[in-house]
Amino acid sequence: MSNKNLFLKSGFIRAPIQNGVGRFVPQLQRIVLKFCKTYGASQGLREFIEQDLVDFAKENPSVVVYLKPRRHRGPVIVAEYLNGDRVWMSVHNKTHSEITKWIEVLRTQQGDISSLRLRKYQYTDYPSVQGPWTPFTFKDPELNTAQLPDPHFGANDRLPITATEKLRLLFEKQKLSDVKTAE
Amino acid sequence: MNKICVIRRFIPLTTKAMKCYPTTVQTQKIHRWVAPTLMELKVREKKLGGKKYSPRNTYLEWNLEAELYAFGKRLNEDFDSDLLLQAFTDRSYVIKEEQKQKDLGIDIKMKDNRELASNGEEFIKNYVQVYLETILPRFPLEGVSGVREHLISEESLAHVSLHLGTKDIILAAEYPVDRFILANAFKAIVGALLQSSGDERAAHFVRDFVIAQLQGKDVNEFWTIDDPYEMLTNILKKEGATLEPRLIGEAGKNTILACYRVGLYVEKKMISSGYGESIKIAKEMGAREALKKIFGTEDHMKPNFQLEGIPKPNTNIRYQIAAS
Repeated sequence: MSNKNLFLKSGFIRAPIQNGVGRFVPQLQRIVLKFCKTYGASQGLREFIEQDLVDFAKENPSVVVYLKPRRHRGPVIVAEYLNGDRVWMSVHNKTHSEITKWIEVLRTQQGDISSLRLRKYQYTDYPSVQGPWTPFTFKDPELNTAQLPDPHFGANDRLPITATEKLRLLFEKQKLSDVKTAE
Repeated sequence: MNKICVIRRFIPLTTKAMKCYPTTVQTQKIHRWVAPTLMELKVREKKLGGKKYSPRNTYLEWNLEAELYAFGKRLNEDFDSDLLLQAFTDRSYVIKEEQKQKDLGIDIKMKDNRELASNGEEFIKNYVQVYLETILPRFPLEGVSGVREHLISEESLAHVSLHLGTKDIILAAEYPVDRFILANAFKAIVGALLQSSGDERAAHFVRDFVIAQLQGKDVNEFWTIDDPYEMLTNILKKEGATLEPRLIGEAGKNTILACYRVGLYVEKKMISSGYGESIKIAKEMGAREALKKIFGTEDHMKPNFQLEGIPKPNTNIRYQIAAS
């Protein structure tokens, strides 16, 4: 996804207030289920409320659940997170099982992650463990005791292979193959 | 007839011309009315007195009791519910309520969180100090207090408080609440926990939320050493050793990319090395590296966020750089 055409906030993958270093704090703080008591579009949400909501509230005492019946309006779930994010989700015509899954997504995520474009899939405060590079970082230890100038260290080892050398190598290779065929 | 012929004759021409147009250019489709409309809306909003912030606790779907219960459960702590409510009541809210009650001619006593906050602050200060002394046994007191000041600063505590979800629950005169009120509420929560669950639970609470903020941070950054080389020589002098700096590498001399490397030796053994764009800086960096080794705060040091209970203070035994 490019940034060019989208008004997405960008950021890095991070845990809020070092969550989990000390103790784990579930990040969903409250969830509001808005539905209509008569309209068919709210059927799935009503079924969820009748069958699963009490268990959901019991299993997640850290989440405050609000029910908001609204006459003749579409069903909506609003989730609020500890970092201040608010996720508004329309569940118009969604079935009971779909809503169960969406609520599980809302419960386990740590904020409004779908509206954040990740710049990278990893993050670190310290990109290098060995520190910045210096001319001495990968220095050959032999140089410590060498008496400079030394033709061994001074030689230019970056030149391409010469034609003479190439020929010589070819010749030696040929000699080897000759020996093989003679046998 | 003639007309049709003309059109026919031009059909290949027009198709050719159309082919020349690039059809794959991506453009953002925002209607031309969007910007003027938004501007107009903004002007009207400004006319009405700016953007209005409606705090979460004025919503129809708000139950303070349920929020307080969930707050305790979220943090895995058993709070006394009255104390918790008191911890969330800011002084400004009480003043505002008293004024309201005076106008109505009634008088209901309300408690604010000042006392809890001062208790909590005292506890946080002491505990963080003792904890840091225990996990950084060789770090001088100045450094420890630098780290402590960072941890218990208003900014740091407000950050923690905000992410524990106090922002909406706090009872204050004005919303959104500022950093001072957030930090104060956090201190009061610690104070409330101290009263309802005892020292150890409160200590673990502070450890998990305040001290854990050190994760991923360099403790040396909270203490500025003006002259690390002098400090190192003084420390070594006390132990009867002399420091000998040696230039062990130089590259790009007399250029803007010069790099020098200085090794610091004690009795012909290298204790550290540093590099920099001048010999002076390289020496200083080497001294910093050596000090980190002496203080036990190297870059690869392992932080300890799992200390159980309240450690015993050992401030008297510890040495202070300034005193020596």
